[in-house]
Amino acid sequence: MLRRATQVFGDATGFLFRARASWIDLALVAVLGGSIFGLVNLAGEWTGALRPAVEIDLSLAALPGYALLSLSRGLAAYVLSLLFTLLYGYWAAKDPVAEKVLIPVLDILQSIPVLGFMPGLVLALVGAFPRSNVGLELASVLMIFTGQVWNMTFSYYHSLRTVPRDLQEVATLGRFSWWQRLRWVDLPFATIGLVWNSMMSMAGGWFFLMVSEAFVLGDRSFQLPGLGSYMSVAVARGDRTAMLGAIAAMVVMIVALDQVLWRPVVVWAQKFRADDSGQAAPMQSWFLDLLRRSRILSWAGSRARAVGRRSPFPVRARRPGEGSGLGRRARIASMAVFAGLLVAMALGSVGLVRLLARVPAPQWRGIGAASLLTLGRVLVAVALGTLWTLPAGIAIGLSPRLSRSLQPVVQVVASFPAPMLFPAVVAVLQAAGVGLGLGSIVLMLLGTQWYILFNVIAGAMAIPADLREAAEVYRVRAWQRFSILYLPAVFPYLVTGWVTAAGGAWNASIVSEYVSFQGRELAAEGLGARISVAASAGDFPALAGSIAVMAVMVVLFNRLVWRRFHRLAEMRFSLTR
Amino acid sequence: MTADPGAARDAEVLCELRGVDKEFEQAGGLPLRALEGISLTVARDEVVALLGPSGCGKSTILRILAGLTPPTRGEVLYHGEPLRGLNPGIGFIFQSFALYPWMTVVENVEAMLRAQGLARDAAAGRAARAIKVVGLSGFEEAYPRELSGGMKQRVGMARAFSLEPELLFMDEPFSQVDALTAESLRAEVLDVWAPTDRNPKSIVMVSHDIKEVVYMADRIVVLDANPGRVRTIVENRLARPRDYRSKDLLELVDRLHDIITGMEMPDVKVVAGEARRTFEPLPRAGAQEIEGLLEYLDARGGREDVFLIAADTDREYGKVIAATNAAELLGFVETPARTVVLSGDGNRYVRAKPADRKALFRERLLRLRLFDEVASALARSERHEVDRDFALELIAVNLPNEDFEGVFETLVDWARFGDLFSYEDKTGALALQ
Repeated sequence: MLRRATQVFGDATGFLFRARASWIDLALVAVLGGSIFGLVNLAGEWTGALRPAVEIDLSLAALPGYALLSLSRGLAAYVLSLLFTLLYGYWAAKDPVAEKVLIPVLDILQSIPVLGFMPGLVLALVGAFPRSNVGLELASVLMIFTGQVWNMTFSYYHSLRTVPRDLQEVATLGRFSWWQRLRWVDLPFATIGLVWNSMMSMAGGWFFLMVSEAFVLGDRSFQLPGLGSYMSVAVARGDRTAMLGAIAAMVVMIVALDQVLWRPVVVWAQKFRADDSGQAAPMQSWFLDLLRRSRILSWAGSRARAVGRRSPFPVRARRPGEGSGLGRRARIASMAVFAGLLVAMALGSVGLVRLLARVPAPQWRGIGAASLLTLGRVLVAVALGTLWTLPAGIAIGLSPRLSRSLQPVVQVVASFPAPMLFPAVVAVLQAAGVGLGLGSIVLMLLGTQWYILFNVIAGAMAIPADLREAAEVYRVRAWQRFSILYLPAVFPYLVTGWVTAAGGAWNASIVSEYVSFQGRELAAEGLGARISVAASAGDFPALAGSIAVMAVMVVLFNRLVWRRFHRLAEMRFSLTR
Repeated sequence: MTADPGAARDAEVLCELRGVDKEFEQAGGLPLRALEGISLTVARDEVVALLGPSGCGKSTILRILAGLTPPTRGEVLYHGEPLRGLNPGIGFIFQSFALYPWMTVVENVEAMLRAQGLARDAAAGRAARAIKVVGLSGFEEAYPRELSGGMKQRVGMARAFSLEPELLFMDEPFSQVDALTAESLRAEVLDVWAPTDRNPKSIVMVSHDIKEVVYMADRIVVLDANPGRVRTIVENRLARPRDYRSKDLLELVDRLHDIITGMEMPDVKVVAGEARRTFEPLPRAGAQEIEGLLEYLDARGGREDVFLIAADTDREYGKVIAATNAAELLGFVETPARTVVLSGDGNRYVRAKPADRKALFRERLLRLRLFDEVASALARSERHEVDRDFALELIAVNLPNEDFEGVFETLVDWARFGDLFSYEDKTGALALQ
């Protein structure tokens, strides 16, 4: 009763308050109209006649349109990633048989760079839609998708597997249906991890934007209208104004996405925090506050809730004794899909083996040597990245003032796709007389050092105050403080940063060891360059061989090296144990 | 409640365990026996309490009755029929509250009702009533993180009551609530249970708090640990409402004290040096606790009642008994009935200098077969090192009923304390000092 009364009262005061804020609603209507117009245009673009290589207009006035097109691809890829994550992660977490295959498969997929997916996607989809742009657009979206999806799926799967036992028991005792369990227990518990990984994923998707919008496959070259193609063309023509314009447009897009999409989502997700520990300063989002004051949205929200009450799945009272695990039908369906997957994987492996059999022995030796070169570059890049991010990250993390002001900046900088800066860096390197063999390390570093920095900042912020006070009380000198407190305390975070950075560096090698510069192609011997060359030459056996070697290297390195570091970090340096 | 609970029980048994065993798989070893031969009934209109030290499997019994875990052997009956899947008529109150942190108070309660297929309006009505019953009106829209422990458990109670279950199961419901609040929650649970024409008809609760159990239960099932077994069932026919200070209640508490010490601290002479043939199970108590107990006794004239020690130090009685048994095993105390008395060696230990303390402790450890075997293996080994797995196997073979990881932990803890041998977690190596 009381609840209803307060609601009515709340509505009344809210009405008065919102009357002043009606410009928000006006703006919303305008945005809605704009989006509809944009979607209609987009549909026209997609269904238009197939134009494999669009002429790119390098005037600055054309930039906003291109940026919006790229944005639509990034968002479409994100929606796909989310759907894939929800299905695949749920399946892997709930079916113990499928899990044993699904998770290793995910691990391998994660290690395959975007160019590994490109030929298959382009050939299949352009072949499926020979007359319209749909196939090409889909291929581009899926290429961005492969840069986004894997860590989201891992995070979701991991969350589902770690729902606390008592919360699960309540759901079991309450006889929740699978849908109720998902909506009330699993999804809320996974939300925070999913949100943070979504932000990372979006940045990961932008990283290969240029590759995903403009690529060469054998004798065919493809170019879709978008920011990535714009940048590629600008680089090829050496048009400095256009390059700067594209970089500026990318920055604007990332900042806007951060303010309008991610920040509100992060603030909203705070309600799914599982622990009671209050944050020092709750996060704020001006945009979310605005939205919460909109009358249209609150009306639409209450409508949606009313519809949501009519649950899409009929709720029936369950008979006593009925289990609440996967139903029999669900189990059969899961087994059928799983069998299908196994068959597809078997066929795929046979195809792969046939393809690999066509790679001559000397080429294998070349690939092996190239992979060692790239491994060396990856490790040097990670080491160099650690060298500056470790002290910087600790300094930022230990100072509340610095971390408050710098963390958002670091986040935006890290989301910026480094390949867009490559031309400038390569120009500097060329002027300094450094070849791409060493220069590619710098390029890798540009994209992956942020992962280390992020994690070190987080680790430094998590150092308990009493440990820092103890160091102060006993007058431990700076260097000793670093070696006995800061380094061990951030070590677990550092390892996470290393793993992510090394994975990113392997992937980045395909764009760092093979760079277009002023109309010329610069290449350094390495696995990444071999992949790029093989892809653009349409040499599928060499492409498959190089990518298989890269996947094996990444997975082996994870198993043999990073996992040991993880274990060491957990056993020796965990502060929570 | 009927005048004679015995008659009521004959009339209607709500659920029952018959000869239930429960084993848990241990990684690379024999399964651990958690429960052995548990038989008990829950009749209409009674409060049954499962009392025992931590680790005796009392929560497992509750989860088997609820249908959350199947027994390894034996039967679970519900209204005379074998229970398949979940027990249909129960509400469950958790020690950890188990509230969904992303749901408000009212949403936490409503979710249960909606899951039973209730329409939204009906669910809202019942949730509101249940929240009112537990005195949380006004807190409907609060999130669990904004509530104190006691209020969180009130939400847990509202959630259980809202289902109007035939049986109410409570797993150490008030052990994470401050003492005063726990007092009022106990009374409130009994108020909801008292009317015989309304659900819940019966309550099954798990507790390690003897006074709580005597205050609330009609029957007290006393369990012992390793493996969990029903030692005895004590009828409690004290009239309600009960008074903690009444003579009858205090007498019953006293009787339970005797029963528990009788089974947990048996007055068998441990003759060190003679019992060499068997491996002594190590009570799960840290060396620091043993030393602390000796100091405690010394400061109180060398003797004290074990339950008074528990109350005085605000520790679970099971923990105090474990420390006492450990001290007795090492020959530092004697335990006539419920009293713990510092022995001659115990006295010597307390007065000794730190280095002599270590020597005495070490000497006592070597009288135990397990320590003796490990120490001689270390002496035999060339590098004076043995692997962790060697010790684990020794324990698993000779103490098959024990949780061998737990025994190993105790072994390492005592050996480190006595400077007998060292252990490096990273390499898993035990080494002679």
